[in-house]
Amino acid sequence: VTTATDAAALPVARRRRPLLREASRERLLALLLMAPALLAVLVLVLYPLARVVEISLRIGRSMNFARISLLPLGLGNYRLVFADPGFWQDCGTTALYVGGSTLLAFAIGLATALLLDMRFPARRLFRTLLLLPWAVPGVVASIVFRWMFDGSFGVVNAILRDLHATRADIPWLAEGSTALAAVMVPTVWKAYPLITLTLLAALQTIPGELYEAADVDGASALARFRHVTWPGIVAAAILSVLVSALWIFRDIDIVFAATGGGPARATETLALYVYTQAFQYFHMGQAAAVGVVMVGTALLGAAFAVAVAGKQRL
Amino acid sequence: MRRRRATLCVIAAALVSAVMLFPIYWMLMTAVMPTSAILSRDPPLLPHPSEMSLAAFGAVIARRPFLLWTANSLIIGIAAALVSLVAAALAGYALSRWSFRFTRFSGAALLLGKLAPPSLVIIPLFIMFNLSGLIDTYQGLVLANVSTGVPLATWLMKGFFDRIPREVEQAAMIDGCTRLSALWHVILPLTRPGLASSGVYLMLVAWSEFVFARTLMTGEGHRVLTVGLQSFSGEYQVDWQGLMAAGALTTVPIVILFVLLEPFLISGLTKGALAN
Repeated sequence: VTTATDAAALPVARRRRPLLREASRERLLALLLMAPALLAVLVLVLYPLARVVEISLRIGRSMNFARISLLPLGLGNYRLVFADPGFWQDCGTTALYVGGSTLLAFAIGLATALLLDMRFPARRLFRTLLLLPWAVPGVVASIVFRWMFDGSFGVVNAILRDLHATRADIPWLAEGSTALAAVMVPTVWKAYPLITLTLLAALQTIPGELYEAADVDGASALARFRHVTWPGIVAAAILSVLVSALWIFRDIDIVFAATGGGPARATETLALYVYTQAFQYFHMGQAAAVGVVMVGTALLGAAFAVAVAGKQRL
Repeated sequence: MRRRRATLCVIAAALVSAVMLFPIYWMLMTAVMPTSAILSRDPPLLPHPSEMSLAAFGAVIARRPFLLWTANSLIIGIAAALVSLVAAALAGYALSRWSFRFTRFSGAALLLGKLAPPSLVIIPLFIMFNLSGLIDTYQGLVLANVSTGVPLATWLMKGFFDRIPREVEQAAMIDGCTRLSALWHVILPLTRPGLASSGVYLMLVAWSEFVFARTLMTGEGHRVLTVGLQSFSGEYQVDWQGLMAAGALTTVPIVILFVLLEPFLISGLTKGALAN
């Protein structure tokens, strides 16, 4: 390893003269450093996304993947999808699933962040404990809740019976009326820690003097929250909600492993619709069409949230 | 007054933690409970210690190719983390130090990768990999994981490089280092914690990944843990105890990793989340 002093001791004559002007050399170096990541993103993200658009515009289907690009172009897949009542049902399911899970995860995330921002012993330990669900793989979270929600032997029903809340064996995930709420539970459980984390980081940037000033003014706890805490975290809150909502929108691990979209499609989200259309029915074109609609929606939502968050910062 | 508030806070934190960690507790308890307690309508919330047994863990390892799944998950996780980390460290440095139109464009391209659902990206990947013979190979699944790993880790690494002042490499360059040797000898050693936490994070993501693995690894011999877990659910009944034991074995290593590296991970993640 050359240390700074070794390098300084080198005679000036041994330094090579630059071949290119400083600015263009820097530019070239930046390009070279970006090259591997860019190559990966071009080949593994951007090209596949372009192919998705193309596949969504190819009418008919071919089990020979090399021949997909020979199919005629047109909007047939989009027409088929928009004419499918199942697609519209899944849109509603997705809105409920994403909206409900995000809202609940945000409520839990905000409450836990406010709690962890207080001064009390073993705070670091509790922070680690409360963030743990984030590290549990989605598929594992899903099967654990599947077991807990089991109709006959599930611990949730057992606890509810002990509390005399119910006497029935409620098959939470197998019953059309409760299944969507039941798959939201593992989703919220896995999603809230990231919100806790982001809000906690924002809370810790609020200067203590602001709280002291509020106390001097005799502000109530609610007024303190509204006028000191909330303005300090609102940008982080919007961004953490955005990141979580996007994750819940894209992810299929939890729903797939908990219900597979059933019973009778009650828990089928758009992301899962894409997967089943593509890999169960091999309707690649229709799956891609729904995917294009999803990415468009995600882009619009993200742009909107970033704009709102940007305004809040001023 | 202050002490009473602190006590209340501890009680509240303990209660919330107990509720939030109950699923993990119940997974572990189900794995060690006697079968009679599992198939009971009124399972004991705290099984008697004398009744607990680790037999279910042994059964999972003996009766299912659990060690093979673990090895596959490890191979995929380590390879994907290494490949993504090299690309992400270089790109993160470039994004942190320069702002050409080109770096801004590639930054946007990297972000776009975070918007697309895995269930969508897997369609063209499945088609591409089918045509190039990468289906059911380690390379194929590693590449698929790299597609999510690179955008993720690039932003994490950019955050870590942002915290190292530019003066550090400028000083080295004045002393005769080229920018590359300054990056290699001065900057990278400084960002070792960043490399470690990004690497662990990438491992964690690849270890948990399910959609790509299920779709691309068609053969039994290449199954990873998350996909293997699905085989516990038969058509009519589920081997709950085996499933919880396998789930625990899948989760415990990364939870330990998470607890050990939590401070690093957290500073990196919050930085990344806020920067995006």
